[in-house]
Amino acid sequence: MNASELQPVVQFLKGLVPFDTLPDEVILRCAKAVIIGYYSKASAYVSFDANAPKLYIVRSGAFEVRDPEGVLVDRVGEGEFFGFSTLLSGEKVVNKVAILEDGLVYHLPQHLFDQLRSESRNFDKFFTRAFAKRLRHEARFKAKDLTTTSRISTLMSPDPIAIDAHASVTQAALLMRNARVSSLLVTDNHKLVGILTDKDLRNRVLAAGLDGRLAVHQAMTVSPISISSNALIFEAMLLMSEHNIHHLPIIDEGKAIGMVTSTDILRGQGSQPLLLIGEIERQQDLASLISVSKQIPLLLQNLISADARAEEIGRVLTSVTDALTRRLIVLNQQLLGDPPMAFCWLAFGSQGRQDQAACSDQDNGLLVAEEMDDYAKGYFDALTHAVCAGLDQCGYVFCPGNIMAQNPQWRMSLKQWQHVFEKWVITPEPKALMHASIFFDMRSVYGPQTLFDALQDKVLAQTRDNDIFLAGMTGNSLIESPPLGFFRTFVLERDGSEVKGIDLKHKGNALINDIARVYALSAGIKEVNTAKRIRALMDANILNRKDALNLADAHEFIAHMRLANQGYQYTQGQKVSNYLLPGHLSSLVRHQLRDAFKVVHDAQSGMKMKFMRSF
Amino acid sequence: MSILLVKARLNWRALRCQHQLFKDYYQSLVPLLAMPVSEAPLVAMDLEMTGLDPLQDQILSIGLVPIEHGVIPLEGAQQKLVQIRGSVGQSATIHGILDNHLVQAVTIEEAMAWFIAKTRGRVLVAHHSPLDCRFLQQDILAIYHQAVFLPSIDTLMLEKHRLLRGHHAIKEGSLRLGACRERYGLPIYSAHSALTDALACAELLLAQVAAMGGARQLKVAELMQQSS
Repeated sequence: MNASELQPVVQFLKGLVPFDTLPDEVILRCAKAVIIGYYSKASAYVSFDANAPKLYIVRSGAFEVRDPEGVLVDRVGEGEFFGFSTLLSGEKVVNKVAILEDGLVYHLPQHLFDQLRSESRNFDKFFTRAFAKRLRHEARFKAKDLTTTSRISTLMSPDPIAIDAHASVTQAALLMRNARVSSLLVTDNHKLVGILTDKDLRNRVLAAGLDGRLAVHQAMTVSPISISSNALIFEAMLLMSEHNIHHLPIIDEGKAIGMVTSTDILRGQGSQPLLLIGEIERQQDLASLISVSKQIPLLLQNLISADARAEEIGRVLTSVTDALTRRLIVLNQQLLGDPPMAFCWLAFGSQGRQDQAACSDQDNGLLVAEEMDDYAKGYFDALTHAVCAGLDQCGYVFCPGNIMAQNPQWRMSLKQWQHVFEKWVITPEPKALMHASIFFDMRSVYGPQTLFDALQDKVLAQTRDNDIFLAGMTGNSLIESPPLGFFRTFVLERDGSEVKGIDLKHKGNALINDIARVYALSAGIKEVNTAKRIRALMDANILNRKDALNLADAHEFIAHMRLANQGYQYTQGQKVSNYLLPGHLSSLVRHQLRDAFKVVHDAQSGMKMKFMRSF
Repeated sequence: MSILLVKARLNWRALRCQHQLFKDYYQSLVPLLAMPVSEAPLVAMDLEMTGLDPLQDQILSIGLVPIEHGVIPLEGAQQKLVQIRGSVGQSATIHGILDNHLVQAVTIEEAMAWFIAKTRGRVLVAHHSPLDCRFLQQDILAIYHQAVFLPSIDTLMLEKHRLLRGHHAIKEGSLRLGACRERYGLPIYSAHSALTDALACAELLLAQVAAMGGARQLKVAELMQQSS
């Protein structure tokens, strides 16, 4: 028999993920092994043969899978599967499958299913991943690396050149000459203690009239500013321009593993976000800042169409907002004169988390070092109004909830902020909890880090292991739950209702943000970016590795879908929103989104178990 | 045809038939009549012919799709192309069979021996089965000199009875295989060959049986009765 003869079955399997990647002869082998059954509503449930587990492939009709407690697990239609969890686990069938609409189902025997899994990695991954709720992305979803978003590690030389702190500067100069480098890492007992550059040799040795026997540690730059190996190139460049330096040691797990110079970075230049940030930093007045900020939506579209990772897009866009904020602060200080005291500009919410996307509004506040007198009050009132109004004109509209530094309520001294946070933590009322999701994701965009740390450390000390507060936060975040999946062109909610579309922000990423926040606050973790929080929770063994990676992947995948959807809306000339209509999703994407939702739901259950047990 | 009559004819033929091949064939069918559809081995068939006249036209291909325990194991699905005298002629455009495809084809003698062996102990199912049966009978007569009795289930007649019971007007074309399948929400198959049509017929029967009360309730004999 040749392939054309069982054409209806062969054609169907060929178009079906994950069979679509199998070679023709394997598809024909599958088609020949298929047993076709017809299921009628009249018999209510699919009856399973415990001795012969099979993969059930729905050819027509509709089915509903429920667990032994009657909780809806899935609703499946044409081209979807059931029965595979039994095949994978080898356990008895426990789920019940109700027949919603009459239809044909292809049965694939266990031995062939196992054979396909061992022959095709792709086939295996499709089912085992669904089963284990793993979400490691397909190559097609792996975002491309752009110059603008690629990692700093791609630029550095693999074996860094280092010298001992007690060596002489002559030895150092020889090493630099032979290796043709302009700088060295200086180590003491394998620990990074400084860097030595051409400039140091000129300024601190020759110009000072010292000779070549001087020890390296006497000429080096002590405790240099460094950057993590997984930082983005543009972040390194920002750091360099902020501190006016040209060399950055790269640190991985506390060890110096390389060095990157401004020349290295210039070689990979031409990146749009960097140019934009550079342009922002050059502008001398509000009018020109407004005109520069008009490029931001285009930047977002370019990043989306370049298929950058969602997390990186968030970081890039937030860096632009940060730069704009800082520039507005600096320009207005030039008009108003020096501030009467140290202050930090606080970013909350999505800017705090570094996951800004399209149409972000402002969430900010001002932290000042001491109690303000009338002059200080007047000064900061003028400064914050000018900055907030500037941001508004640059496209970051005023916060509808009035959480802005220009609102005197959110312009406070360190003591007052500490007091406000304390009140929220001690009496977690609904309004306090609503605020918490915004305010607890805070980051300083401008001002001395020590001032900000004084606030954050105090807050974290209060939230850490605070059962009542954490239970309140958990309860608040469980109000929303992710959908179950998709059924035909609808989104399937957990209660079985079918709705037209899904808000990927509020029923997806926001839920993961909530989970990461509660755990981070419970453990006193300083990170506010969700991916970084999850990473820190994993490193601290608060989340197990598998759950943490699943959650991080789900976060990235949903955010990626959200951005891709916005890119699609933008190109279609539609209003850009977080609302996804499942109609045009491929079956693979539906499958993966479903897995991502499952991860979120499981993480919600885990959080509930951990923090709400006693309530 | 009344079921008692079918049974009597099969027994009578089994008793009187001089040809062992057909004696066995009849005997293998007798016990199936009283079986529920969920138990009885059936086989859906479809023939492609050069025309509609059994006396003049020839069989081009035969597709067989077994139905066992109420499901269709595709492992047993088979198709034979048959050599014909002369050219495929006009019908090639209908069936997509070209002369050079017939290189894989077997003689009509081989095809009939294969058909009898494959369908022994199975009740035939076809859409508009009388036509297919007349072609088979004609060839068997020519080869074995036996006027065979081929009891069958006709999915077209099952559908006609169902529509009449529901007081539906039967419009032209509404009993075609594709139209019948559509009423049960079965997928549309664009490709046509003896095998795909036999498969389409087998699936239609399963849907019809489900609509008639289920494979466990219905006996083979009842389906045969409603096939006339």
